[in-house]
Amino acid sequence: MQFMNKLNLGKTFLAQASVLKRIIAFFIDFLIIYVIILFPLKRIFNNIIPETGSFSETVNFLNNNAEYSTFITVIMLLVAVLAILYFVILEKKLSQTPGKMLFNLYVKSQTKDLNYWQLFVRSMFLIPVFPFVLLWIIDPIVMLFTKENQRLLEILSKTKVVEKYKI
Amino acid sequence: MKQQKNRWWYVFKMIIGLTILGFLISILISAFIGTDFRGLDGNVAVIDITGTIVAEKDVDFLFEDVTSSDEISKLIRKADRTARIKAIVFKINSPGGSAVASEEIANEIKKTNKTTVAWIREIGTSGAYWVASSADYVIANRMSITGSIGVIASYLGFSGFLEEYNVTYERLVAGNLKDMGIPFKELTPEERALFEKSLDSIHNYFIEEVAENRNLRKKDVEKIATGMFYLGVEAKELGLVDELGSKEEVINYIEKQIGEEVDLVEYKKERGLLSSLSQVINEKFFYIGKGFGNSFFTKARLADSVSIST
Repeated sequence: MQFMNKLNLGKTFLAQASVLKRIIAFFIDFLIIYVIILFPLKRIFNNIIPETGSFSETVNFLNNNAEYSTFITVIMLLVAVLAILYFVILEKKLSQTPGKMLFNLYVKSQTKDLNYWQLFVRSMFLIPVFPFVLLWIIDPIVMLFTKENQRLLEILSKTKVVEKYKI
Repeated sequence: MKQQKNRWWYVFKMIIGLTILGFLISILISAFIGTDFRGLDGNVAVIDITGTIVAEKDVDFLFEDVTSSDEISKLIRKADRTARIKAIVFKINSPGGSAVASEEIANEIKKTNKTTVAWIREIGTSGAYWVASSADYVIANRMSITGSIGVIASYLGFSGFLEEYNVTYERLVAGNLKDMGIPFKELTPEERALFEKSLDSIHNYFIEEVAENRNLRKKDVEKIATGMFYLGVEAKELGLVDELGSKEEVINYIEKQIGEEVDLVEYKKERGLLSSLSQVINEKFFYIGKGFGNSFFTKARLADSVSIST
């Protein structure tokens, strides 16, 4: 045991999270959100938007039926609210989401303890209206070019994702 | 280890909570917009054309069975854009209605790329027959009433009534024909001739459309376009209908055309919670604000007093 202590074995420390693990963790969370939130609403979408041969036909249909696109925007906003709740509540309570739990990733505040406002800001990329949709592109790009691999919204919210390592 | 277990337990509870919330929201949305949860899984859309055909529904039609060309056009476009829908059946039970609305529906039917079948049940006359004729194939019950290719315009004249009660109609117009068709004065011969000329024009459009849609000679259609209605069996002999029959014949025809088993799905505007609520509110205001009697006197304009129907 003394030998183990000398080598610091069995101890944990936090370090910069791997970008790949973060991406996989996000897709796991996305999958969960898809199953629990989008799935119940899928039938409503299917009934509103007819099956079309291509994406452009669907866009054309929505352009010709403004009332449907407004309605879909409202539903997407509701989905976004639920998805944001998923991230904010879990990260506030556990500092993790299921995806992050699988890879020992944690959300940490760079100031004091994590607060709801910080967690909301870091989840704003889920809001499906302009200009927030741009974050789908900007956020990951910024992550690749920052020292601690922070997304733009993480910089703004003064948070970062760390990985817990065990020796 | 126990702490880790507790974390997963919290995640599990959170996921269950959000799932329930998701379902509640979807139920709430469907209640508000009236989305049909039975799904639109069929391959043949059935669109009902029932009652008087009008351009758009308004408060005056609250208590009447009407079909709005706006709504039907939307449903046709939706079915047309749905890849799994291979054919559209128009289930007709209507005496006709507005010439404009009938033509709008007929044009929308002609635009679609799907197989279209008009199925006349009890009645498919006048404007409703115009609509039926624009489909690829017309099936009617042998005892159904169809045809009646003609145009009617009418209004209630009050001039005699007003005279009896010593009420005068003070005529102030700029433009000699501005008050043509107003119910408080009799039509002059000139006005009557103008009206009849317009009706003849509409009748002529109607005849041309039926002749073109049914691949008949205009002369032949003119002979039968007296406004007379025909039984299904007579209409078949005259070429106004392709086949006598009912739902079974409709399905058989479509199966031959699309080469697959028919699964009918109703396309209709679902009445959601908001729509139902607005109807109740409309009804209240209809009684409070409008009333029955005063509508005769507020509607003094030609467009409101004379109705032209096919």
